[in-house]
Amino acid sequence: MDLEKLSLFSAVKTRMKWLTQRQEVLAQNVANADTPRYRASDLKPFNFREILRQEKIQINMDVTNASHEPGRRKRVRDFASEVERNPFETSPNGNAVVLEEQMAKVNETHTKHKLVTQLYKKHLSMISMAVRGPN
Amino acid sequence: MDDLLKTFQISSAGMRVQGSRLKVISQNIANAESLAQDPNGKPYRRQIITFKNELDRAVGLDTVRVRNVRPDMSDFGKRFQPNHPAADADGYVLTPNVSTLTEMTDMREAQRSYEANLSIIKSSRSMLMSTIDVLR
Repeated sequence: MDLEKLSLFSAVKTRMKWLTQRQEVLAQNVANADTPRYRASDLKPFNFREILRQEKIQINMDVTNASHEPGRRKRVRDFASEVERNPFETSPNGNAVVLEEQMAKVNETHTKHKLVTQLYKKHLSMISMAVRGPN
Repeated sequence: MDDLLKTFQISSAGMRVQGSRLKVISQNIANAESLAQDPNGKPYRRQIITFKNELDRAVGLDTVRVRNVRPDMSDFGKRFQPNHPAADADGYVLTPNVSTLTEMTDMREAQRSYEANLSIIKSSRSMLMSTIDVLR
């Protein structure tokens, strides 16, 4: 049985990927909370329909001659991140990371991750219940 | 799960630079009264630390590191103390351009950023744990 074929499991998986990647982006923001001219970024909101439509297209430049320089390979990222256009506040050194805001986002990510993993466990236990029977 | 492990590296880089910042601050405070030895000498000059965002090629991440530590070129203070060996003809001694109050606020900020990085690590750790818990 392939769990991936159950839409719920694949959705949970994508969601978890999104959450872990967001955590990484937020960690970058907090680490750079005192870097001059650094602006916070965040992942684009999770949109289920978009996730379904999105194919993982990563085109790298092909080389036709051995002496050609291959294009720099982009790091494969599943979700796009964007720099916040209108930061809440900017400090005199041009840094636009608001620690409170970032911490709130971290907590949000954390809670959602918890929810998703619980959901996963719950459905897994439901399947095993169906397989095993009531006892 | 891989992303969460990278989070640790990013946050520890953040904690490391805040640690260096604290080192510079403590150096400034410790030398807040370091005067010159003779009238031609200069007292201690305050040091400033700056950070920069850098792409760590080994892991492909944007981490943070110390750009440089450079002297603060603002003017020295002056104090009337004619009996001091470093006093000039008018009896004034140059004092370091360190303001203990500024250093203290800076220290608080460093502490706050350090704690923020630490709580990111804690949060990521517990996210990892809940992922591992799915296996049970």
